[in-house]
Amino acid sequence: MKASDAERSTPFPELTLRIADTLSRLARARDVAVGCSLKRAVWKCGKTTLYHYLPLPATGRVSRHTRPLLICFALVNRPYVLDLQPDRSLVRRLLEAGLSVYLIDWGDPDDADRLLDLEEYIERHLGGSVRHILESHESEALDLLGVCQGGVLSLCYSALNPHQVANLITLTTPVDFHTPDNLLSKWVRGLDSTLIGASGNVPGEMLNGLFLALMPFRLAQHKYVRLLTSNPDQRTVEDFVRMEKWIFDSPPQAAAALAQFVRWFYQDNRLVHGTLELAGRRVLLGDVRSPVLNLYALEDHIVPPAAAAALRHFVGSPDYSECAVATGHIGMYVSRAAGAEVPGRIISWLKKRG
Amino acid sequence: METSPPGAAFKPDVAISEAAERFFELLKTFATAASGAQPEWSSLATPLATQFEQWLRLSQSAGPWFAAAAGVPAAGTAAGTAAAGFPPAAWSFASLPLGAAAASAGEPQRALELFSRLGQLQAQLAAHWSEVANTAAQRFVARVGGTSAAPGSVDQALKLYELWVDCAEEAYAATVHRSDFARLQADIANTSAALLVEQRRYAETLTRAFGLPTRGEVDALAAQLRELRRELAGRADAPAASAATGRERTARPATERTDARGARGPKRTRPKDASRASPRKRVRRPRR
Repeated sequence: MKASDAERSTPFPELTLRIADTLSRLARARDVAVGCSLKRAVWKCGKTTLYHYLPLPATGRVSRHTRPLLICFALVNRPYVLDLQPDRSLVRRLLEAGLSVYLIDWGDPDDADRLLDLEEYIERHLGGSVRHILESHESEALDLLGVCQGGVLSLCYSALNPHQVANLITLTTPVDFHTPDNLLSKWVRGLDSTLIGASGNVPGEMLNGLFLALMPFRLAQHKYVRLLTSNPDQRTVEDFVRMEKWIFDSPPQAAAALAQFVRWFYQDNRLVHGTLELAGRRVLLGDVRSPVLNLYALEDHIVPPAAAAALRHFVGSPDYSECAVATGHIGMYVSRAAGAEVPGRIISWLKKRG
Repeated sequence: METSPPGAAFKPDVAISEAAERFFELLKTFATAASGAQPEWSSLATPLATQFEQWLRLSQSAGPWFAAAAGVPAAGTAAGTAAAGFPPAAWSFASLPLGAAAASAGEPQRALELFSRLGQLQAQLAAHWSEVANTAAQRFVARVGGTSAAPGSVDQALKLYELWVDCAEEAYAATVHRSDFARLQADIANTSAALLVEQRRYAETLTRAFGLPTRGEVDALAAQLRELRRELAGRADAPAASAATGRERTARPATERTDARGARGPKRTRPKDASRASPRKRVRRPRR
């Protein structure tokens, strides 16, 4: 839309100019870069890559807490949101604290991976990453930070391999999938998971559509109008575009794993019922005995707070802490408020348990 | 006004421009209602509901699930309208000159049934959108009714817009949390998925007719490969695990060293500052 067109068509010329200005800033921000911290690939398994973040030169010290920390992100989004830009990066804050940070990037499953299931993701990809790190550090256990769906995978892994996980942190992680306010769960409950598995990999765009459909007017209209009318400077616009790039840059989902996730968690709520089995072994949250820090967002429309807070009723750890932050699901990773609170909580909690 | 469906190859800059256009359209609607000495807010109900319903139909189309995978054009688009009565182009396989031997007659019939079912479900979805849009407009008119003056400043106009957004999301939430809506969403997703499976089944028949490897055959090979990989991992780890038990090491429960699939546990228990350990320093594995 051109400014001149809009000027003719609106009763508020001042607003028109403001919006036209923002649109031109948006055009300049189109190619903005995402991701900021240096990392190197240290292990691969199929499409999954394990990265190790290089220590920050400015840190110049080795933290007392030297146990490696592995971040396990969700399969449905890309993990670079945790390291979006220097002033909005959980990873960077952890590096600044002197932690040795690893991250799993699940990559883009293609048709050859359509039969890839959760057992393989958890045992071979996540487990392989854990074992690689433990060998590299000659360590018995690491700290595990599971984010959203990655938190579910991390809980499963910790329950099955309790001695390999010294401390477990879950961030916006659903545990009880049947809380009354879980709209996503209501919609997914009636899906035929066999058909999902049979219809092949699910494109990332389709899941994006699903997440947007939870609050369409706010997420696909109001959010943009707010930006356009708020007279943002170039930097704010660039921050916004980075987030948009991440939101709409979702990998496809391996058919088998997605079908299992829908069936086991959203439909059967197996984590809560204690009926989940992986590789012939029962996954019981009661077997998670390491210290647990559970962080969740109070305004989360994807993982309602009650869905995440339910962990406290099932986890077997005698050392359980939780922290609710007044923000939304994505805000938990990138908002200024959460940026000030979440990394600090994680770091101090880990240091106390070093 | 064009609208990009949120899912398909979403481009933020396009979406933002479209949002701006819709916003101006809304402001014009507000301005029209408020043009007289006394604003006639009740006259807003119909245009607001129409705009919102149109947007919902375009942006939500057949629901987020599987519409793209099933190759079903979005309802409300030209392609979607055309497709409402006819199978989509992807279904024109039958015109390939492979004859009746290539596929059984039942398959296209099943696909047509599914497609027809999908059309019915989309009509039900459209009824929900209509309900949401009308409820939102009525809520807005009821709440704005107390305002005696037209929005005279940008801030007032934006406040009016915020009120409209609240009403729209509240009306939407009231409908989409209902169990009948959830069932409909699931029906649409399942029917779309079934259509896709049917489409692929038909494609398999054709692939076989051309003498090419089918998806089913490739999947069977992949499953076989996976089993072999598991077996190999089990065999490779079994001696390592048994050797490890004989080694001098800190006593720990056996379950700690191997998992059910024979995955290796940590090789050393030496407590040390891990950050100073060379990453290259690998623990030697026991010889078989």
